Amino acid sequence: MRLSTQGFFTASLAAMQSQAAELAKLLNQVGLGRRVNSPADDPIASVHIRELERAQSESEQIAKNSVLIRNRLNLEEQALADAGTILTRVRELTGKAANIGTLSDADRRSIATELDSRLSELLDLANRQDGAGEYLFAGFSTLTKPFTGGGDAPIVYAGDQGSRLIQIGPAQRLADSHSGFDVFVDIPEGNGVFATSANAANTGSGVIHPGSVVDRPSWVPDDYTVVFTAADAWEVRDSATPQNVVASGAYVSGAPIEFNGVRIEISGQPAVNDEFTVSRSRSKDIFTTVRDLAQALRDTAETPAGAARLATALEGAMQQVDQASEHLISVRSQVGARLSALDTADSARESRDVDIASALSELRDVDYAEALMKMNQRLVGLQAAQLSYSQISQLSLFSYLR
Amino acid sequence: MADLLNTSISGLLAFQRALDTTSHNITNANTPGYSRQITEFMTRQAHPSGAGWVGAGVDVSTVTRAYDDFLAGQARNSSSAFHRADAYATQAERVSNLLGDSSTGLSASLQEFVNALQSVADTPTSTAARQTLLSQAQILVDRLQGYQDSLASFEAQVNSSMRTQADAVSSIASAIAQLNQEISSGYARTRQPPNDLLDQRDRLLDQLATYVSVSVVAQEDGSVNVSIGAGQPLVVGQHASRVVATGDPYDPTRMIVAVQSQHGLADITRSISGGTLGGMLDFRGQMLDPARNALGRMSVGLAEIMNEQHRAGMNLNGVMGGDFFSVGEVGVRLHAGNSGTATLDATRIPGAAGALTTSDYVMTWTASGWSLQRADTGASVSMTGSGTVADPFVADGLSLVVSGAPALGDRILIQPTAWAAAGMDVLVSSPNEIAAAAPIVAGAAAGNAGSGVISPGEVLDPTHPQLRSAVAITFTSPTQYTVGSDPTVHTYVPGQNIEVNGWRVQITGSPAAGDSFSVRDNVSGLGDNRNALALADALSRPVLNGGTTSLSAASGQFVSELGVKTNQAQVTRDAQKVVADEAAASLQSVAGVNLDEEAANLLRYQQAYMAIAQMIRVADTIFQSVLEATRR
Repeated sequence: MRLSTQGFFTASLAAMQSQAAELAKLLNQVGLGRRVNSPADDPIASVHIRELERAQSESEQIAKNSVLIRNRLNLEEQALADAGTILTRVRELTGKAANIGTLSDADRRSIATELDSRLSELLDLANRQDGAGEYLFAGFSTLTKPFTGGGDAPIVYAGDQGSRLIQIGPAQRLADSHSGFDVFVDIPEGNGVFATSANAANTGSGVIHPGSVVDRPSWVPDDYTVVFTAADAWEVRDSATPQNVVASGAYVSGAPIEFNGVRIEISGQPAVNDEFTVSRSRSKDIFTTVRDLAQALRDTAETPAGAARLATALEGAMQQVDQASEHLISVRSQVGARLSALDTADSARESRDVDIASALSELRDVDYAEALMKMNQRLVGLQAAQLSYSQISQLSLFSYLR
Repeated sequence: MADLLNTSISGLLAFQRALDTTSHNITNANTPGYSRQITEFMTRQAHPSGAGWVGAGVDVSTVTRAYDDFLAGQARNSSSAFHRADAYATQAERVSNLLGDSSTGLSASLQEFVNALQSVADTPTSTAARQTLLSQAQILVDRLQGYQDSLASFEAQVNSSMRTQADAVSSIASAIAQLNQEISSGYARTRQPPNDLLDQRDRLLDQLATYVSVSVVAQEDGSVNVSIGAGQPLVVGQHASRVVATGDPYDPTRMIVAVQSQHGLADITRSISGGTLGGMLDFRGQMLDPARNALGRMSVGLAEIMNEQHRAGMNLNGVMGGDFFSVGEVGVRLHAGNSGTATLDATRIPGAAGALTTSDYVMTWTASGWSLQRADTGASVSMTGSGTVADPFVADGLSLVVSGAPALGDRILIQPTAWAAAGMDVLVSSPNEIAAAAPIVAGAAAGNAGSGVISPGEVLDPTHPQLRSAVAITFTSPTQYTVGSDPTVHTYVPGQNIEVNGWRVQITGSPAAGDSFSVRDNVSGLGDNRNALALADALSRPVLNGGTTSLSAASGQFVSELGVKTNQAQVTRDAQKVVADEAAASLQSVAGVNLDEEAANLLRYQQAYMAIAQMIRVADTIFQSVLEATRR
């Protein structure tokens, strides 16, 4: 084929330019360490890169969330542990006060005084705040003091039953708290099925013991009254109007009284018309329990009726303190379960981070060995083109026309 | 002997002419567009004699140029195609480098925004976290608007480049018309080809082909007729049309290409193809417009998702949240040639962002009423409704209300998303106004005997007047419940939705008779993060494109589409470059000057010249011999 002189120059120049352009591109890749610098370099990879970078950013946020929720759960755990310690002390004091024969009214009053200070300790703990000033046990109402009252006023819960969820994985959320309602308020009364108590106006020395459930399916939830129609006869009445007699029998001190699947015991000598109640279990908050106990200890026990009231109150309180402790333990175990779920989520996240980073590097980063080898090739190619151009361009017939 | 001298002189003259041509070739070896010229020799008419025909020497019949119209046409076509691909690819590269950078990218900003939302969910009472969310929202809006601005500046560059190129096309056209005249008169005068003028004209045609695709038809008088694009005549004989870039009849700031004639301007934008002008138009139509609309659709989606969920929440002041983002309106532009008075009110249907497309539409008044077409493909789009305020036209997520009296053929351009990003703003100004909490809170009564658990509750209708009123759900038996003071007894199904006063809760487990649950105002629930979490969830839900694409997927797609288009454009450019280089080389191999060849010709003609000079010497010697012989 004929080759024009201009065509030869143009073609040689174009060849050198394209070599140089490829070289510049490789140099740019090596310089930045990135294989994909523009979406046009590899559109598919660039979508993946973007998605992975998004996942990385999401993961960073989740890591922050995780630190935060761990901190909150640890605070709650600490508060629950402290509450457990206080309850243990309350139980000790209750046991101490139960020695009715050896303690005087004054002795019991001093126990009551200590209980008062335990109560205010418990109240402070339930109103504990985190570093940011948010109440730990207020549900969603974290800026509202959840438990108000104290002293002579009853302690009431002003929070709600919410608990915040925090994102701890791409599709996993975990509650960061329990509400005060869940922890301190919603504690089952009595044995969880029914609770016993004595009428404050009783004049006899009858003491009602906590009792137990013997046949759960037969239990009909209601508030029952055990009425002594005579010193040696009792009737169990329900709460309907007019009241129905559910069971009746002859009284023997300490002998079990059974009706509707439950068994209670009354000991001592009740007077005629003395009343005891067997009511369906509701809830009793931890503060009322301690408060009622302190109150009972302040009353005199130096009459038979007073001693009986105190004995009933102490037995009931002992049971209620145990209920509260168990309840706190179950809440604490939930916190423990959340912390362990958080550990699992954290380690899953960490391993996912490693996966993302390696996938990202594979897609985005330049393989230096390969890039340098290609660069070398291009360099050799460019040098060859330059050399052959300078050699061939000197060939001209005119050189010989002298 | 006179014949011998005459013959020799004819040779001397012919080879002088040949040497002239060779030196012309050598001196023009580097002149762009120059075609090598060839001196054609022809024997002179021989003299008859008794002994036969005696040769009388040589004549130069013509000087032709080595040129191949077919190869030249191929070179021009492939150059048009290459310049189109090159202009497109060059612009596309700039766009995707600018918008595709991952550190400043859209998906990064979107994720930062979601992260800030998560931080608010972590500590809803923290003003710092709320302030960060507002800043991130502003950054996101700035990013969307920055993209929109970049696309607008690219469009401005396309506009100004169209103007320059239209001017160039016009001036080339008039130069070709001028040359047509000179060439045809040159032919008529000499009956010989005016080679250098032909080269000049071919070079102008080559230049024209870099702007727009051309087709050339040669005429008998040596002139050429030139048409551009899809057959639009540009030069006819000695008359050239004027091509101008002028304002679009819908939007004067957007350029179209038109031809000026005695009837006024005729829009030829759609028939333009090839060349840098075609490449620019392709870039605008295939890359800029869809990108701008996709960006707008994302903005609409973002605003709609956020606004809807944000209105369902309660802010730190205890009141319901308002709209979070505003977006630009639907663009409505009347055609400049409309003779009727029809106007259009177009709005996006709330909650129908999924039905929006990235297309623009043209609504035309026809004999059978209003009809709607997609602006890019011309495909017809069906509408429901009658176009009145009470019963608007509804199509692709738009609600269209027409008023006024249209004239036949009146057209209105509708741009559903084009201006959405430009008009975007953050409407929440104070950190307290971020609605991170839900307005209601559900709970169980203390001492419930059963194991029933109530869900936290969600808002269905944020505008319900009783939304935040306290309502008790009381179980009259383990399987029946009543709601509030309404005596109607409902049958309990665990997990079933209970919907009252614009909210919804579920109760699960086994409640006992006498158990009760309450749903009440969450006015003190400042630490509540339920709505913040719902906002984060909503942002990851697929809402766009008929409910198939989430915002983050859409932002990824936005960039990947730019990448794919750029990549295609680069591949096309590289392929077209090879074709164009090949075609140019083929033409060069015929028309180009080879200096070695010219050196050889120089030698050849020089030697012939010297030989003829020797002939004259011989003639002289012969003549002297005859003189010598007759002196005695």
